[in-house]
Amino acid sequence: MSDVIQASGLGKQYRRTWALRDCALAVPEGRVVGLVGPNGAGKTTLLRLAAGLLAPTCGTITVLGERPAAGPAQLARVGFVAQDTPVYVRMTVAEHLRLGAWLNPGWDNDLARQRIAQLGLDPKRRAGALSGGQRAQLALTLALAKRPALLILDEPVASLDPLARREFLQGLMEAVAEHGLSVVLSSHLVADLERVCDYLVVLVASRVRVAGEVSPLLASHHRLSGPRRAPGTLPAGQEVITESHTDKQSNLLIRTNEPVLDPAWTVKPVSLEDLVLAYMSRTGDDAPARRQQLGVVS
Amino acid sequence: MIRLSLLQFRAQAITALAAMAAFAILLAATGPHLASLYAASGISGCQPASCAHLASNFLQQLYAAGTYWMLYLLGVMLILVAPAVIGLFWGAPLIARELETGTSALAWTQSVTRTRWLTVKLGVGGLAAMAVTEGLSLMQAWWAAPIGRAVGHGGGGNYLAMGRFSSLVFATHGITPLGYAAFGFALGATAGALIRRAVPAMAVTLAIFAVIQIATPLWIRPNLFPPRRAVVAVTSLGSISLQQGGLDGSHFNLGAEDLPGQPGAWLLSSGAVNAAGQPVHTTPAACTTPSVVNGPGFFPCLARHGIREAISYQPASRYWAFQWAETAIYLALAVALAGYCFLRLNRRRT
Repeated sequence: MSDVIQASGLGKQYRRTWALRDCALAVPEGRVVGLVGPNGAGKTTLLRLAAGLLAPTCGTITVLGERPAAGPAQLARVGFVAQDTPVYVRMTVAEHLRLGAWLNPGWDNDLARQRIAQLGLDPKRRAGALSGGQRAQLALTLALAKRPALLILDEPVASLDPLARREFLQGLMEAVAEHGLSVVLSSHLVADLERVCDYLVVLVASRVRVAGEVSPLLASHHRLSGPRRAPGTLPAGQEVITESHTDKQSNLLIRTNEPVLDPAWTVKPVSLEDLVLAYMSRTGDDAPARRQQLGVVS
Repeated sequence: MIRLSLLQFRAQAITALAAMAAFAILLAATGPHLASLYAASGISGCQPASCAHLASNFLQQLYAAGTYWMLYLLGVMLILVAPAVIGLFWGAPLIARELETGTSALAWTQSVTRTRWLTVKLGVGGLAAMAVTEGLSLMQAWWAAPIGRAVGHGGGGNYLAMGRFSSLVFATHGITPLGYAAFGFALGATAGALIRRAVPAMAVTLAIFAVIQIATPLWIRPNLFPPRRAVVAVTSLGSISLQQGGLDGSHFNLGAEDLPGQPGAWLLSSGAVNAAGQPVHTTPAACTTPSVVNGPGFFPCLARHGIREAISYQPASRYWAFQWAETAIYLALAVALAGYCFLRLNRRRT
């Protein structure tokens, strides 16, 4: 299976600040990929680079094997829904569909009309008069009806109420099931990702901290608690992601592909939220060094 | 993409058409009467000796009536401000509004490259801008044709008597409005692409456009072609402005307002010169006696002492050369600005 997005050494600089720096990423085909990370991690920049809205300052990114926005054919294969789902406020819903039909050779008019009808949107309504949820649905409809191979969504549900959020994600999942497209979705709401994603990428300060299929990731991470001990004494193959210690007790979140056999530990499974938070709070490159240092002290 | 561009352009197009229709109705309601006044004035078919007099009478009649003078000025002002208004309200928001509202992310992720998007946007807007401005200009030219003919016959004496080279007439007739419209629109679009917010872009567009439109007639247009120079007898001058100063009129300043034998020429500067061709402002002593200074003998006296009038001018025959040259400059600027928009949108993607 090939990668729909491939990036290496990717960077984007705005005047003096780097929004994204030295980012390497590979997103496999046929997945619904959740991209999570704290604010300022570079999620939006990464996705806009992938959509061809931004040009990289350095490094390379290929999307579906080509430079993003390389030409009409490449653009036709990528659907994009931007943050806050912008639409033309003065144009009606029907005019948005016409826009889609005019600008996209692969436009699926039946799909667009059906979705609008299902959503109960009045085609004569101006987009500016729609609710946030309806506007997001309209933007999603536009992106889906161009029948892309890859759909990129940048925090599409961030500003929606819980009900609209569920409906939006449901609509997205139905489309994915029907058309089998690859999806990359950024969010800082792990609960939403849990519902829809089967692949997870955690991005912190431009770096991918962890990437992989959700179920193997959950299966290979464990929460351990037991008598205090130095993490350095763990068997090889058990990588500590986070740790906290009291005088008597140690709490660890570890990654391992083997079962945890030590009877001193109480082993608990982790939730996706635990996993994401663990990787987000783990300090990046200096993490192994700090672990050793702690090991020496205790 | 063209259809989308037209759809998005709908509101502006309706506004422009409404303004043009209102102007057309105003002109159509008053134009025939103006033409009939001209027909009754006897200028057409006049004897050469009486033409200027009849033409002046006609212009005086229009001026006294008030309405025509106001309408004439209104039309001229409308054509002058149209390119600025277009630059502000069509040009500046063209790219800036998309960036501001985030809809650029929608527009530029359809199956249309940014280059094509901008080509169509600038093409539709630019052509419409030129059509509207030139349309207004042609309507005004039709309406004001009798006034132009009267001025051509040597009519003068009031504000209506503006020659084809006068700033207001030159900039509102012929093909220059095309150039101004294209430039105003492209300037607005470029300011919007750079500033990325519509309202500040509008302010910058207005400021730059105003400066350029003032600088052009003052410093650029007169120098598009090297002026010609003529030295003529002071006694041959028709319309002049004479200032005398000092004790007994010992100093004088003589400006010519038309050039004998060159009707409709654009006079750039004029002044008295002595036999050696040097500018002169001192009245020859022999001409300072009160009866001469204040009498009809002043110019013959100057002429007897070798004083002539030097005039630098652009001949009337160069009118279209000036029109083409200035329009070409503005169109070239518009194309350069549009080219910059392409670079900006493609290289420094936002």
